[in-house]
Amino acid sequence: MRALTTHGLSKTFKVKRKPEGLSGSVRALFKPEWKDKIAVHSIDLAIEQGETVAFLGPNGAGKSTTIKMLTGILHPTSGEAEVAGFVPWRDRTKLAFRIGTVFGQKSQLWYHLPPIDTFELISRVYELTRADYAARQRDLIERFELGPYLHTPVRKLSLGERMRCEIAASFLHRPQLLFLDEPTIGLDVVVKQRIRELIRERNRREETTVFLTSHDAGDVEELCSRVIVIHHGGVLLDEPVERVKRDVLSRKTVRLTLAEEADLSGMPETAGVDIRESEPGRLVFSVDLKRIGIEEALNAFLGKVRIADLTVEDPPLEEIIKHIYGSQAREEVRS
Amino acid sequence: MMSFRGRMARYAASGSKGIAVGRIAWRQQLAYKTDLLLRASFLLLILFVFEQLWSAAYGGDTSKVIGGFTLKQIVWYLVFTEALTLAVPPLAARIEEEVKNGEIAVRLTRPMSYVGYHYASYMAEAAFRFFVHLAVGGLIAWALVGAPAFGAGWADLLLLSAGALSILFLLHAIVALSAFWVEETSGMSFVLNKLQFTVGGMLLPLDLMPEWLQRICAWLPFQAALYFPARAGVQAHSADVLRDLAIQIGWLIALAAIVTWIYRRGVGKLHVNGG
Amino acid sequence: MSTEANRVGGIWRFLLACWKANFASALEYRLSFFLLAGMMLLNNLIWVFFWQLFFSRFPVVQGWELRDVMILWALSAGGFGWASVLFGNYGRIANIVSSGQLDVYLSQPKPVLLHVLASRMSVTAAGDFLFGWLIFAWVGDHTIRGFLLFVAGLLLTGLLFMGLMIVVGCIAFWYGNSEGIAGQVFNSFITLTTYPSDIFRGVARTLLFTVVPAGFISYLPIGLIRSIDPAFLIAAVSVTFGLMAAGCTLFALGLRRYASGNAITVRQ
Repeated sequence: MRALTTHGLSKTFKVKRKPEGLSGSVRALFKPEWKDKIAVHSIDLAIEQGETVAFLGPNGAGKSTTIKMLTGILHPTSGEAEVAGFVPWRDRTKLAFRIGTVFGQKSQLWYHLPPIDTFELISRVYELTRADYAARQRDLIERFELGPYLHTPVRKLSLGERMRCEIAASFLHRPQLLFLDEPTIGLDVVVKQRIRELIRERNRREETTVFLTSHDAGDVEELCSRVIVIHHGGVLLDEPVERVKRDVLSRKTVRLTLAEEADLSGMPETAGVDIRESEPGRLVFSVDLKRIGIEEALNAFLGKVRIADLTVEDPPLEEIIKHIYGSQAREEVRS
Repeated sequence: MMSFRGRMARYAASGSKGIAVGRIAWRQQLAYKTDLLLRASFLLLILFVFEQLWSAAYGGDTSKVIGGFTLKQIVWYLVFTEALTLAVPPLAARIEEEVKNGEIAVRLTRPMSYVGYHYASYMAEAAFRFFVHLAVGGLIAWALVGAPAFGAGWADLLLLSAGALSILFLLHAIVALSAFWVEETSGMSFVLNKLQFTVGGMLLPLDLMPEWLQRICAWLPFQAALYFPARAGVQAHSADVLRDLAIQIGWLIALAAIVTWIYRRGVGKLHVNGG
Repeated sequence: MSTEANRVGGIWRFLLACWKANFASALEYRLSFFLLAGMMLLNNLIWVFFWQLFFSRFPVVQGWELRDVMILWALSAGGFGWASVLFGNYGRIANIVSSGQLDVYLSQPKPVLLHVLASRMSVTAAGDFLFGWLIFAWVGDHTIRGFLLFVAGLLLTGLLFMGLMIVVGCIAFWYGNSEGIAGQVFNSFITLTTYPSDIFRGVARTLLFTVVPAGFISYLPIGLIRSIDPAFLIAAVSVTFGLMAAGCTLFALGLRRYASGNAITVRQ
């Protein structure tokens, strides 16, 4: 079953342009100049029930606008969409019963109240029966381990605890489709991990379709089965995570802290190793795992430098996206 | 012991510091144009409403004198009290904020008196706002009830307003400095404002109040902060002005003593708690 | 039929849940709740005190006596009070629209305007509401008729406040940042509802019953409470419901405009 389809979904904003200076302001007051700004340009998507999709793109690529159209908040300029069997902008209210939204920076929990009070309110908003609400609440409290925080005002919870409550709250009405906007932003690694597990579990148990935007490569890798990248309002890439991982996430960044100054001038180039920064006491290089293993790559440096400390990390998502754009551009040139 | 010349030099130094602080505070006022505009439009509304109210009360008779005031005088009286009331910056909120975010520790390390700093910045701001409100309110009143012919009253008004704003500063400082002990000063500020409103004679000159209340008001500092300058502005009697001035000075000394005492105790407490 | 009843029941339960959450939020800060509400009560009482001083000098002004002005304060504060306690966001619509807070309400399946309105409770307004009843107990007409008339007055006043502010708040859909203007209208309107309508003459009086319809509140003590003036009452009721209807229509139009998003500045 399809959870979501769009066809040629587009959105153009009219933006008021204010000429500079006082005379410009006065003129703009009487005869404003409008300029078209294409936010989303003909997006085609087809997502099956139960899929977990990462929806990526740089700031201003049209992610928010697309999500707002898919949830019925904004009407498109042209194109079609069907979400959970509804046309979002025509049946916004009916659709709202079937979907859930979590915005990392905008809380739906009442700040001064304990989470349980917000749960109660949400049960009324989504018209759950008392029995259903009680069962549902019990299940989520147990799985999300919310017991200890349930009666503590939200303002006294840590960000991680709050986020767990936030996500549990959005699952309360059994949404078929959950939109998550930066769900792990600002959390530490352990908490991020836990939140991803919980979302995954819901996805498996209830076949909830997950539609997620994130700047965290970990979210994409561990939570999603498919990646959609948009850029300049259009779909740039739509592939299974496995393949993206093989193609793009195969790079690791290695940071070395050196015990003494090293001279690398005479060192031969190693295939798959790319030195990014070389300063006294510091060395950063990236490793292409398709071409060389981490161990081998490190071997190339051992003996030549004295290592005091070392970290291996995923490249930030921006870099991955840049990489995708880069290869896309190359392909365009080739074809 | 400091020589006389040394002491004079110290006074001159703190005076010029005060002027420097005042100049900055004055210039900053120009940045708050919207605030100024909002207060001006509030002034317009309130003066218009009260002109209508007093006209109705006087039965539209411009020559009638009630409690010593003609219709024109009572509207102008309101211009003066409002100009003073709206001139007062939110001193308590500012000091409370400084105590809460620890900025006070920085201020205390500066080679300038803490209360003196606030007085300088307050007076500059208050004077700026006072003159703007006076101009705006004056224009409105002029249009509503006609030009003032208060003669020497203007001089008396300005003379007594300096003392009045200083008394308002000290009253608000007492509330503000309580921030050393309590977390919330807005409640006390509120009470202070309401006292100004009633026993200060903001809307109703004391002369129009019942006997018993007038007698109470005579013993409170609030009349010196609003009623004195505004009444002097519309009815110039030089003998009264001298008496008013004497009472103002008396209150200034008494209130300054109280503020100094509270401040010393507050700072002592601050040092104990380490900010 | 039964589904319709279900729908209404659902909305009712939803409103109750909103109010419960609002009230619980307010009680989180019990002390400041009572302090703020008490301060508002005190503020209004001081105004009553001013009017007592005023009327001790001028016992009758344009046919108004002290009691009428006290009832006027009771109606204005009481009406403002219940509206702001139950639908505390009605004065903040411009702010909510222009700061992009509508999205949260739009992604949930309840009537958007109602959801916005009921999502906040003004704490100080509880003091206003209490003040209204205190004054009624003090100088009101303690008969069933007097009670019903007072309740009707409160209802009209609150609805008029809400209707006007919804209409004014909707300006934000078309002109973006209009919080300042909306706030200014609100404050001026509240101020104007607390002075006897009959002290105003000429153009001012005309304005009071047209552009700035505060007169429909500030004549209630004479035209409804003292003795029913049918012409005034019909006008007041029609203006109130007219404003309410206009507010709801404008809000719906505004939402459509917001959703089709042609002229709204993009806030990503």
